[in-house]
Amino acid sequence: MTSDLVVHVARFGRALRRHGVPVGLSDAADGLSALTLIDVGDRDEVRRALRVSLKIQPRDAATFEALFARLWEGRIEVPAAPRDVEPFRRGTQLPPRGSRSSDRDVAVGDEPGYSPAAVLRRKPFDECTPQDLAAMERLMRQIALRLATRPSRRLVPTLAGRGTIDLRRSVRRALRSGGEFLSMARRTRAIERPRLVVLADTSGSMDPHARFLMAFVRAIKRVAPGTEVFAFNTALVRLRTLRRLDADVPEWSAGTRIGECLAEFADRYLDAHVDARTVVLILSDGLDRGDVEPLADAMRRIHARARRVLWLNPLAGDRRYEPTARAMAAALPYVDRLLPAHNLASLEHILWAFR
Amino acid sequence: MTPEISALLGRMEGAGYIADPTIATAVFLAREMRRPLLIEGDAGVGKTEIAKVMARLLDTELIRLQCYEGLDVATSLYEWNYQRQMLRLRMAEHEGKDAGEIEDLIFGRAYLLERPLLRAITRREGAPVLLIDEVDRADDGFEAFLLELLSDFQVTIPELGTLRAEHVPYVILTSNRSREIGDALRRRCLYLYIDHPSLEKEVRILRARVPDAGARLAGEIARFVQALRQRRLTKTPGVAESIDWAQALVRLHRDHLDREVVEATLGCVVKDHQDIHDLSGDAIDAVLAAAR
Repeated sequence: MTSDLVVHVARFGRALRRHGVPVGLSDAADGLSALTLIDVGDRDEVRRALRVSLKIQPRDAATFEALFARLWEGRIEVPAAPRDVEPFRRGTQLPPRGSRSSDRDVAVGDEPGYSPAAVLRRKPFDECTPQDLAAMERLMRQIALRLATRPSRRLVPTLAGRGTIDLRRSVRRALRSGGEFLSMARRTRAIERPRLVVLADTSGSMDPHARFLMAFVRAIKRVAPGTEVFAFNTALVRLRTLRRLDADVPEWSAGTRIGECLAEFADRYLDAHVDARTVVLILSDGLDRGDVEPLADAMRRIHARARRVLWLNPLAGDRRYEPTARAMAAALPYVDRLLPAHNLASLEHILWAFR
Repeated sequence: MTPEISALLGRMEGAGYIADPTIATAVFLAREMRRPLLIEGDAGVGKTEIAKVMARLLDTELIRLQCYEGLDVATSLYEWNYQRQMLRLRMAEHEGKDAGEIEDLIFGRAYLLERPLLRAITRREGAPVLLIDEVDRADDGFEAFLLELLSDFQVTIPELGTLRAEHVPYVILTSNRSREIGDALRRRCLYLYIDHPSLEKEVRILRARVPDAGARLAGEIARFVQALRQRRLTKTPGVAESIDWAQALVRLHRDHLDREVVEATLGCVVKDHQDIHDLSGDAIDAVLAAAR
């Protein structure tokens, strides 16, 4: 192994990193040992060996090929312009410390009395006052908690009496009591937390409901902190903190371009954030005058990957409502459940839809 | 090209797997560097086949672990044979053995049921090929366990102690990318992404795997399937589907495609209700025209 080769690989790894391709030092070391095994005079073979040993994924393939063509063999230059980093990723930070406690204040705020709770559950969102909202938070949290947990297939030991018999532990117990099976050990399903991804429509037509649905999303986020939240109207934004919703979302309460926004979500975030355990919640009234073709296509891709796609629609609470809005109709084949979301009682329906 | 790699390419082809230089390079490096090879790609592009052909070329056993959500140690690594343990316990009562003796007895190797991962580690007759199939379906916890196993190639069984690998197995992991594989596991492996084959390669694969299909049929099938992949289908057909279809058509004594036979056998390649529905009528004619 020549020291030239070491320098070459190290520089190439650094160039890849600068362009956003995750290549660590251990990967570079792998690249180096791969090159010792092959014919380094064969440029194509070097390229293939580096792709394998630096673990280049398809999404980085184009960057790799471009850099390899430019940098390998002699003309080593460290490129100046790094690839654009997603702007909001750079800009957003963790919420300030104080924000958490104020959230909690809202959550435990005014306890709803026994009868107001029932009233609150039926009260349409657009008629609610901020006081109602505070009272509802507790109910929302209960719903969110049930939404964010489900039994797993994995088995965990339980105390006596519950679950199915665990033979392994039973045999060990029997040994302790001289080979006698005095009691059987049992095990049951672990509680699993599915991943949730929320896509919330914040366009003008959603305005009366948006505040509420966002409160619901906040409640989910509190019991399932891993939940990813995206807001969209004319553009899609990934929300890191929910408090700065209006500041983060461009053109708050402007029109909607559901199709383009969901297509962007599918292109940029689907692979990393949605898998077979993920439930995708879409909160939107489906009112959109745009082209339905990209919407149907994006919904098809999301649906193919997610465990379930639930669409919460505030208009669906109206008995006269038929999902005939063009966008809604186009998306419908790829929605596991279209659910009304005009009051709290309707949100509770998500529970049975979810099991 | 390194002579070993071109030789490997030829041998893989001889064993019925039409590889390309990238695949051969990856298999060569995984073998020489003794590192697990993580293979990603759409369903049906031939990921699993690589493990099979590797076992054939190395003339060793292929041990396969199919992953699924909820896969646990009892099904992947080992389980005690409880029925035998209980019977032995009953017998031991009459023999008047003390508890310590009985414990040593029933937690011995003879009462251990080896699952694929343990089998791969303890195989005495040389290194096997261990195929960990569809690792993206298992949960994160299993992935972490796998990472540990693939680093040390040793397993600790509380009752028995630590078992070290007799021979470090050749490991192939496959993933359909339904979920991102963790960074740590990815780093541990070499990486190969397999795309759908080019037309020319697909024809060669069909000729090699279904020798009874004539040149015309193989060419038309390959072009038809390539045209299908250009369309947005829910389930894009892989080479595995092309091969199935070629075999079906050979059984039906066809030497070319026409609309009638395509409609009757479309289920061999297109395996989604919505896709079949979308492809009825004119759409088939359009794809057929592209295939000729």
